[in-house]
Amino acid sequence: MGLPMKSWVSLVLGCAALGAFASPPPIRIVEPWVQAAPPNAKVMAAYARIENGADKPQKVIGVSSPRFEDAEIHRTVMHGNMAHMEQVKELALPPRATVALTPGGMHIMLIVARGPLKIGDRVPITLTLAGGETLAFEATVRAARAAGAEGQTPDAHSAHKGSARQ
Amino acid sequence: MSRRTGLALLLAIAASVAAFIAWNTDRDRVVRTPAEIEDYVFWQAKELSDFTLARAGDRTLTTSDLKGKWTFVFLGYTHCPDVCPLTLAVLGEVFTMLEKDPQVRREIQTLFVSVDPGRDTPEALGEYVSYFNAGFIGATGSVAQIDAFARQMGALYAIHAPEAGKPRDNYLVTHNSTVFLVDPRGRLYGRFPAPHVAPEIAEAFLKIRAFDSERSNTRWAFQ
Repeated sequence: MGLPMKSWVSLVLGCAALGAFASPPPIRIVEPWVQAAPPNAKVMAAYARIENGADKPQKVIGVSSPRFEDAEIHRTVMHGNMAHMEQVKELALPPRATVALTPGGMHIMLIVARGPLKIGDRVPITLTLAGGETLAFEATVRAARAAGAEGQTPDAHSAHKGSARQ
Repeated sequence: MSRRTGLALLLAIAASVAAFIAWNTDRDRVVRTPAEIEDYVFWQAKELSDFTLARAGDRTLTTSDLKGKWTFVFLGYTHCPDVCPLTLAVLGEVFTMLEKDPQVRREIQTLFVSVDPGRDTPEALGEYVSYFNAGFIGATGSVAQIDAFARQMGALYAIHAPEAGKPRDNYLVTHNSTVFLVDPRGRLYGRFPAPHVAPEIAEAFLKIRAFDSERSNTRWAFQ
């Protein structure tokens, strides 16, 4: 890849701002948000859709945020009514596909907040790809959307199936 | 077949039919669980035996605190970024809907029990749950106290050892994602399995409450 990922993202954002029609960017972070939690919550979760517009597969191998001491990608797994989380050390981004990080499924687990976050705050998050490129974005803190699919707790039948779709 | 055996057989059949009709009529007098709440209520409510948990301000929470109100019970932990805040947020929404009726408001409460006393103090829990609704109660206890409570709900949980190379206080917990419902007589009455959707729970609860009141009245009338 000629240009680093960040340049691609800014290039595309720049074109979009001008109203120009650009070819789809290799990787796009769509609607990132952080689930609001009590001020004394030590951990929080961020969600987004990650679109890989390129023809080649990619992998997320790291995540970090300056507002938290640590961050990891996790998946909530349901066995019957039992919920537990497991770390996703490498998040595969298949070519021309979207991987959805949604409540009750995959999420970015933000570990040990460096200070309380309230609704409306913007949390900078950086993903590191297998090739070494980084992808920076900001996720806004908000409550889980009421009544919509997003506001549901996980379904025992769908949560473990993963949410990558072509 | 002789005439006598034929008559005996006929009588036996007639007696069976009569017994069946009588049994069926009798059965109809029992209040049946409406289909729309069948999935949520237990066939038989289960009396909870004594338990003690710790809540903020050096106060204890015992079986008697669950009497007089319908209690929504959820077991989890605060170092849970996804399922626990989501479930408590849904319950917060359920309470916003239910509390619009001042009568219902007086009859309901939510109890969040942390199964992770290693990281959750009663004080921190109280602060944590009040974010979702000012009236929510947070409680925890010793492992023995939590087990005594969780066992009665039928809620399993597991505390995992931290992974190698990770801080000692960074570990995962497996827990039951069900919201349990304890009735005002302190009996485990029903449960709401995940996925949780606020309007569905609010509506089902009101039907359960109405059904329970109808059933109590019917019993009283027949006694």
